[in-house]
Amino acid sequence: MNASDGEPSQSTLLQSGLEVRSRLVLEEGLSRIDARTRSRLNQARQAAVAEAANGSALAWLQRAFTRHALMPAGAAAAAALIAVFMLSGGHHLPPSAADSPASALDVLDLVTDDDAMNLMEENDSSFYEWAAAQGDSPGQGGPGAGQGAGGTTT
Amino acid sequence: MSAFASVAPPYNMPATSRGDTLLNDTAEARSRALNQFLASVELKAYKIAQAGLRHQDDALDAVQDAMLQLARAYADRPAEEWKPLFYRILENRIRDMQRRRTVRGRVMAWLPFRKDEDDEESDPIAQAPSPDLPPVARLELDEAMTALDGALRQLPNRQRQAFLLRNLEGLDVAQTAQAMGCSEGSVKTHYFRALQALRLKLGDFEL
Repeated sequence: MNASDGEPSQSTLLQSGLEVRSRLVLEEGLSRIDARTRSRLNQARQAAVAEAANGSALAWLQRAFTRHALMPAGAAAAAALIAVFMLSGGHHLPPSAADSPASALDVLDLVTDDDAMNLMEENDSSFYEWAAAQGDSPGQGGPGAGQGAGGTTT
Repeated sequence: MSAFASVAPPYNMPATSRGDTLLNDTAEARSRALNQFLASVELKAYKIAQAGLRHQDDALDAVQDAMLQLARAYADRPAEEWKPLFYRILENRIRDMQRRRTVRGRVMAWLPFRKDEDDEESDPIAQAPSPDLPPVARLELDEAMTALDGALRQLPNRQRQAFLLRNLEGLDVAQTAQAMGCSEGSVKTHYFRALQALRLKLGDFEL
């Protein structure tokens, strides 16, 4: 259209006339479309509308499911998550030395060892040094170690 | 937690029923609107598809595919967006079918016993003259339709698309650009060149 700006108005009139006439002819062509084609177009349209209705029903079901089912389910899931978090909260605290199984066994060894109990009753500080040495090197808990410990007491 | 427990539920059954009714009414209204829209464009869409594909069944298939795709993907969009979207889908479908046909034609050209698929069986009812026109006017109109149809077929695809979307469907430049997937400037160029080519072939195109 821009290319015709510099041309006389007759060209524009010709183009307008061409547009008008061609539109009339094209519309006449529409009115001559046969019944079979119109019927097939009608069927295609009905199928498309049904498809859209099915899509709308599906979307409605999804919305309803989200609103009526997923919301309580989400709340229950959130509550379960909170419960799990609260119950498992103690595991995230720094573990104390007394809670470890190895420490418990060490305490049991100390209690059942007669020499160690005697030292503890005498409130001798050398006992604690020995106990610390026992805890640091478990391999020394054998007969040789016991002899060493006895040596300190004598 | 007590604060949550004290809050009443945001919905109850009567409100839900009202919401469902509204949703159903909205869906029905949308279906009616879609049906009206498709009914308003189906003949023109078929004519445009037939001009591009030159085959009745292919044109019907293209229009049907475009209708279904619009219904599936864009039925929830505002109704004023449907027309350019629909013609965009249709143009893509026509182009795909043209490409497929080109490939198929190249393959079929190598086969010894091939049938020319452009040979369509003419429907005598469809070819019957319109009864409400005098014979002379009917003859002139037939000649004009044949001439315009032939001239349109000789146009490049983009020019024919621009001409039919603007002149037959009545889309404005912006809608045509949206339907063709190009700029408004390109639409103006294609349309102007189409008019020039048609004027060269048809002259004044007097009826």
